[in-house]
Amino acid sequence: MMDQHEDPTFEQWLKGAARTTYHAPRTTPRDEMWNKIVAARRNRHVIELRPWMRWAVAAAAVLILGIGIGRWTAHQATRDNESPIASASDSSRNLVYAVAATQYLSRTETFLTSFRAPGRSRADNARFASQARDLLTTTQLMIDSPAGDDPRLRPLLEDLELVLVQIAQLDARGGAHDTDLITQGMNQSNVLPKLRSAIPAGPVPVRTEGAL
Amino acid sequence: MDESQLIARVRTGDSAAERALYDAHVDRVYRLAFRLAGDDALAQDFTQETFIRAFDRLGSFRGDSAFSTWLHTITTTVVLNGLRKVKRFRQREADIDDAHDIGVAQRHAEPDLKTRLKQAIDDLPEGYRTVFLMHDVEGYTHEEIGAALGVETGTSKAQLSRARAKLRVALSDFAGEWTA
Repeated sequence: MMDQHEDPTFEQWLKGAARTTYHAPRTTPRDEMWNKIVAARRNRHVIELRPWMRWAVAAAAVLILGIGIGRWTAHQATRDNESPIASASDSSRNLVYAVAATQYLSRTETFLTSFRAPGRSRADNARFASQARDLLTTTQLMIDSPAGDDPRLRPLLEDLELVLVQIAQLDARGGAHDTDLITQGMNQSNVLPKLRSAIPAGPVPVRTEGAL
Repeated sequence: MDESQLIARVRTGDSAAERALYDAHVDRVYRLAFRLAGDDALAQDFTQETFIRAFDRLGSFRGDSAFSTWLHTITTTVVLNGLRKVKRFRQREADIDDAHDIGVAQRHAEPDLKTRLKQAIDDLPEGYRTVFLMHDVEGYTHEEIGAALGVETGTSKAQLSRARAKLRVALSDFAGEWTA
């Protein structure tokens, strides 16, 4: 049975008109794009961490954090008498950022999972918006930190920034339509699956530290 | 050679197989990116990013669905996220331009059908517009659209129906074009 809103004549005309006039693509520039893809992939060095490597990195990061804190406190005590000493090498600093990134991603995952859960009331919007603003600040700091140089992490951070901006703008008067649009955007961009895949496997207390 | 064999060869680092896989799918990816972006430079950027991600993540493709379905999921994610960023950037620029243009009188010519159609499609909500362009303009099935956008097939059908209804209202001044 035909829906009362259907109009086959209009739909046929619309298809034809849109196909020929709306953003009609030119011939695919295959070679031009392929050359750029090859060049971009050659310059990209993404290190995929295997599960055992993640544990090793986490253990090393904890060790380095401890050493870093020890050195920092020691420097505080003797600061007036000694010349400045480099506190940590670049690689150890990056590992510290990696640990910070993991904790931040776990926290954001928990937050977005709570946001997407059904049964939310309008009164919750203000609370979510406030928490989103906090996370947004951290996200922007992460983008500007060495963690933001990671070619695997940066697109995710930018996606998260966009989602958090939208949630931060929710107000108590916002209806279900606003939150549905945000949730729909999250689903379309696969933010949560990407976020979860970016979080290294690890003990629950470490992963959820600082969560809501 | 069938596609699963081609994918297996790509996984071993065979660059000829990568190019063959690219050639098999690039037209559809580029066309969709162009329809959604309306700009050749952006469409090329999005297409390149789609294939870079696809090759990097081919290890996670398990073959539960068709490769094209998996690839179009990446395409829509890349394009829609990219367009949101572009839109935010352009909005900021527009705000600055508006501030500069205060007091300058502007004349607008009566738009023709082509302009009105473009404007009506551009004004659709993102979900409606995406489904309309994928289905009515690029010929994707509702099953392909549902898989690519992570929505139910029924949602895709409903969004298409609403998109057409909105377009019919927006173009009602030109009803003679399709009733003639």
